[in-house]
Amino acid sequence: MAEHIITFDNDTPPVTAQTGTLLSEVIQGAAMTLNQPCGGQGRCGRCAVRVTGGTVRSRSTLRLSAEDVAAGYVLACQAVVESDAAISIPPQEKIERLLTTDLVSAEVEVPAGYDPRKAQNVRRVTLTLPPPTMDDQTDDWNRLLTALRQQADFGTVQASLEQIQGLGGVLREGDWQVTATLDAERWDCPGCPARLIDLKPGHTASEMPLWGIAVDIGTTTVTLWLVDLLTGKVMAQVAEYNGQIARGEDVISRVIYAGKNNGAAELRDLVLTTINTLLDTACKRVQAQPADVVKVVISGNSVMMHLLLNIRADSIRLSPFVTAINDIPTLAGREVGLNTHPAATVDCLPGVASYVGADITAGVLSSGLIDTEAVTLFIDMGTNGETVLGNRDWLVTCACSAGPAFEGGGVLDGMRATKGAIEEVWINGTTFEPTFRVIGGVKPRGLCGSALIALLAEMSLTGVMDKGGHINTHRDHPRIRTGEHGPEYVVAWANETAHNRDIVITNVDIDNLIRAKAAIYAGFSVLAERVGVPLETAEQVLIGGSFGKYINVEKAVEIGLLPDMPWENFHFLGNTSVRGAYLALLDREARARIQASAARMTYIELSADNTFYDAFTSALFLPHTDLSRFPSVQAAIVS
Amino acid sequence: MALSGIQIYKMLPQTNCKDCGFPTCLAFAMKLAAKQVELSSCPHVAEDAKAQLSEASEPPVRLVSLKANGHEVKAGNEVVMFRHEKTFYNKPGLFLRVKDSQPAGEIQAAIAEADGYCVNYVGRDLTLDGFAVEAVSGDAAVFAAAIAAVRQASHRPLILISTDPAMIAAGLRAVDGENPLIYGANTGNWQAMADLAKQHHASLAVIAESLDELADLTEKVKEAGVKDIVLDPAARNLSRSLALNTQIRRLALKKNFRPLGYPLISFPGEGGDPAQESVMAVHAITKYAGFIVLDHFAAETAYPLLVLRENIYTDPQKPIQVQPDVYEINTPGPDDPVLVTTNFSITYFSVANEIEGSGIPAWLVVTDAEGMSVLTAWAAGKFDAERIAKTIKSFNIADKVNRKRIVIPGHVAVLSGELEEELPDWEIRVGPREAIDLPSFIKQVL
Amino acid sequence: MAVEIPKDSWAGSVRVVTLGATPADGGTRSHTIMIGGQNTLPFMHFEKPTPHRPVIAVEIKDRRPEDWSGLLLDIWGDAANDPAAWAKQAEVAGADMLVLALTLTAADGNPTTPSMAVEAVKAVLAASKLPLIVLGPGQADADNELLVPVAEATKGERLALGLCEDKNYRTIVAAAMANDHCVVARTPMDVNLAKQLNILIHDMGLPLDRIVMDPTTGALGYGIEYGYSVMERLRLAALQGDAMTQLPMMVTPGFEAWKTKESKFGQDVPGTWGNWEERAINWETLTAMTLVESGADVVVLRHPESVRRVHQAITDLMTVPETV
Repeated sequence: MAEHIITFDNDTPPVTAQTGTLLSEVIQGAAMTLNQPCGGQGRCGRCAVRVTGGTVRSRSTLRLSAEDVAAGYVLACQAVVESDAAISIPPQEKIERLLTTDLVSAEVEVPAGYDPRKAQNVRRVTLTLPPPTMDDQTDDWNRLLTALRQQADFGTVQASLEQIQGLGGVLREGDWQVTATLDAERWDCPGCPARLIDLKPGHTASEMPLWGIAVDIGTTTVTLWLVDLLTGKVMAQVAEYNGQIARGEDVISRVIYAGKNNGAAELRDLVLTTINTLLDTACKRVQAQPADVVKVVISGNSVMMHLLLNIRADSIRLSPFVTAINDIPTLAGREVGLNTHPAATVDCLPGVASYVGADITAGVLSSGLIDTEAVTLFIDMGTNGETVLGNRDWLVTCACSAGPAFEGGGVLDGMRATKGAIEEVWINGTTFEPTFRVIGGVKPRGLCGSALIALLAEMSLTGVMDKGGHINTHRDHPRIRTGEHGPEYVVAWANETAHNRDIVITNVDIDNLIRAKAAIYAGFSVLAERVGVPLETAEQVLIGGSFGKYINVEKAVEIGLLPDMPWENFHFLGNTSVRGAYLALLDREARARIQASAARMTYIELSADNTFYDAFTSALFLPHTDLSRFPSVQAAIVS
Repeated sequence: MALSGIQIYKMLPQTNCKDCGFPTCLAFAMKLAAKQVELSSCPHVAEDAKAQLSEASEPPVRLVSLKANGHEVKAGNEVVMFRHEKTFYNKPGLFLRVKDSQPAGEIQAAIAEADGYCVNYVGRDLTLDGFAVEAVSGDAAVFAAAIAAVRQASHRPLILISTDPAMIAAGLRAVDGENPLIYGANTGNWQAMADLAKQHHASLAVIAESLDELADLTEKVKEAGVKDIVLDPAARNLSRSLALNTQIRRLALKKNFRPLGYPLISFPGEGGDPAQESVMAVHAITKYAGFIVLDHFAAETAYPLLVLRENIYTDPQKPIQVQPDVYEINTPGPDDPVLVTTNFSITYFSVANEIEGSGIPAWLVVTDAEGMSVLTAWAAGKFDAERIAKTIKSFNIADKVNRKRIVIPGHVAVLSGELEEELPDWEIRVGPREAIDLPSFIKQVL
Repeated sequence: MAVEIPKDSWAGSVRVVTLGATPADGGTRSHTIMIGGQNTLPFMHFEKPTPHRPVIAVEIKDRRPEDWSGLLLDIWGDAANDPAAWAKQAEVAGADMLVLALTLTAADGNPTTPSMAVEAVKAVLAASKLPLIVLGPGQADADNELLVPVAEATKGERLALGLCEDKNYRTIVAAAMANDHCVVARTPMDVNLAKQLNILIHDMGLPLDRIVMDPTTGALGYGIEYGYSVMERLRLAALQGDAMTQLPMMVTPGFEAWKTKESKFGQDVPGTWGNWEERAINWETLTAMTLVESGADVVVLRHPESVRRVHQAITDLMTVPETV
């Protein structure tokens, strides 16, 4: 058998190899380490190397993009030597970037051409007032109004009693130099007078930020972005579990809880505490004060919105499922209970119906669905599993209770995607040993959504569990054991973790995850069926959700969470709800567009007949009972 | 051809004006596609779209209705081959046949017994739908007298059986003002029969040995002015009847073949072996008969057939419910546990199966949660403390057990506090979330 | 007018499963029974011939089932005390094959032991040369404990062992694989669950032509419409080419019908229910025939008269009509 010489682009001396030798073996034989988390099965893509000279035969290029292949990349575990060859071994980070299926959520970019003077209804102006004299005994308020008219073009202005009470002091303290912040056009009242939000002595430097916040109140996670309204830049992003979780994991439990005794007030306090704490944290990062925040845009599902404002929500849960209000008028920070400026403008975005709230209308805007001609599937992988299908002409939407599993809720070692969370896992198909990556590169504390998706895929593919999600306890392996919650798989041993406890995934967790993914898949597949638009005809799939910074599309398809389509059709947008709130925070037009999309949206009630239930049980399997819906997974299983 | 919601939407004005009472044009289109709303609810639809849309909604199997004295039996209007595809709509009418050769007293007694038969099944009262009178005497007066005897004992709709137009004419005169079914027309007598049917507003069954002849006959009869037609492909054994009924239904539904787009009539008692009549009737009920004429009546046969007909014609799109009741599993005694769940059939079966399989005796109290599973029912307010308490009280569970203790599903643990208030002298225990964990829960915790 | 008969032409067909092995194939049965093989909906002879007729299995027990209806105990008489005698009687009654359902406990109240189960199975195999299905008592632990030794002691007989369920299938499947038997996979009235269990069993390496599925049906009046539609859907899926549903179906109308009040009891029931014995037989027969219409390949019955009626009806259904 022919021998070939393999050379490397680093200091490693050349080695010889026979025809048919796996490149991975050659590299290891040359005493180099090569990451093979999947155990050399061509599944993880971590052993990609570049062939710069000679030829190798590639058995599989799964997980490499066409461009990568064109550039000479191969998977070392799937490529065999056929001639002399020169191999370039990229550093590990480069491989990470190579993985075509890891979709990282897009960075926040300030909308092109953002001009606060045109788009922003909240404005800060510095004024110099002529001091009163014996000849000019104009009252303080009219003196201010005159300056506002002459120097900033404000016709009429409203103020609160409190502001008028403080007026004389502020004018004199600043020696007739003041900075006023006004809301020039309340969204719900275009012809109304401008409203004074804040009046400060002295002139605030024009480069000082003008603070606003965009808030998404998720059932499981609350996200807050602190934004400089002058530049449009997001200066801090923070997120935390919604404090209401302790009173029920899903919207229904919360509504029921709110209906009892003091429940509504308690739930309102809990979410306010969460928001105010996040506000505090975000402000500390940029040395600002919560009270400096003069504009707030809030997005969230209808129940969250009702509970925040302590509006009765019972009718949302009971047939015929109506909200008290979908489109809430402008409020002020103090009446909502926020620690922002007491007079800050608070805009709660409009929803469509009980189970299609502002989070979805905001998502439709920020995802671009509202503008596209292409039939688009937009999936919000949140607790309520909302899906929107359509394009700029028509939109249908549904919701299904997916639960908090993909945000780490209801999972024994689940956590949010923050530092210390395992975010990616591979399991070696021969040894059943896992390899994982932790956010922040520290010792792990738990598993976030993307790791849970990966675990389901890997455990199923390697036979650690069967396709029904039952861990195979017949397999004799120290990581597969029966714990107090039944069968479980140990992802990290106590001595590897930050809290010195084993990190495990239990059969109960797996059941919850499979139910969550089944609900989401059944939701959008039934939605598509109901309107008579086959899923395959969707030209793109937009994914929103607050479960992490990225989603591994391949694994999400492998477990049957996402439909089996070319990977380039998927776009992961991260938290689309807070993005929508952010856009509305910057641009008053954005809000009008959200309202317009809300009017066009048709809500489909999934529980009207058995089809959802049927689709759901069909999806309670990995990837799906009907494998023909997942041809690429079928091919992978066969190989 | 049925149109999808999106296809219909494209023919609508797309203005979302809400004049139809729905929030968007697409919502209205989808209701139209599901045949849950009339096109006329949209005041703005264009004429050409109207024409296209109404053609798509014509029923492939004509609705035929027999009426007498306030009773009505309907057949037809079916849209699917298999009940799971949508539902079977009109239960086949069950008729009992008598012959004019029987003495009047015998006829009256037989009819009276069958007419008065009423059996309760899951809260519904089930009865036969009507009677068939066959002229075998050859004497029109005898036939009319037999019909009069039937009318002494029953007011239900009738099928008049004879191929002799003279007999049928006499029979029709005896039931003037009713809308009976004439059985029937064949290649020899169709013209006279069609005239009679038209004249008396009766429906007309056509009989032929082959589908070709059957289609020819319906076309002729239709031309003669009879719209309400019933088909008898003259198959009297299981295998042939199954084949022909299937072919006719397929032609009507899939080929939109109008000459055979009518309900079917079946005679299970003509197969020879009387013990097989009920077996043949099973086939008629499951496979597409619209009218079924039996030759024997006995409660022990009528009851299972009536139940089968209820079952097959249950709407499969509705959640399947079990009767709210106290179910005794593995013959429980006064010391055995009382478990509570909802009346969604899948929920009930999974709980019942687990307990049954474990061999543990238990009382399973099924509450009326409108056929929803535990979590769904709880979310919708159909499985709350009040309903559970009402069920426990109304079924007098307290009289069956020594220890007043109930186990509620783990998913509704939050109800335990309220339940304690509603049932002050009962101990409320929270069981596991999943049925599979019930046996070990009962063994270890209770 | 010439009416063109609409014929369905299907891409898929049901697999043929062979139950029982003759001495030539390493067993002791007098003949084998083949089920499945259809590539039309049930009895659509005008499309394609039906290769194998649905068969009737009669259910017998390893010891007298005191919880059975008095009608059944009376009709089987002393034979019900002895599985071998019962097997012979069942054969006389017209059974195509037998189902031996093991009891959880022995007569003394203690659990049935593996050796007792093996003894009962061997006695039945010796008494009747019909192919045999052996079902465990229906509790996971007991099923596994009894069926493994039974499988080993009868290696080569090509029994069908059951019931495999989604939470307990590995042990039974492994025993069947190692000893050349088939399995019965039971799921609770759901198309997806049925298919899922077939996939899980097949994933263990058992060929599909050794799996019979029992989709569970409910009895007449007790959910049969659900089971009926599940079977129709499974059969349609199979014909459309879905490999994981292309398995013959075994159903248990005898078990289902005889646990209803209508069959079990003759006293304290409404007068409108009519004669007890005839009603009970009707209940079983009608349940069975409804399931035969929806695609059952094996119906497991309990009463000899039901066996007679269902047998005749199947014969009628299998008769190819001349003119259609």
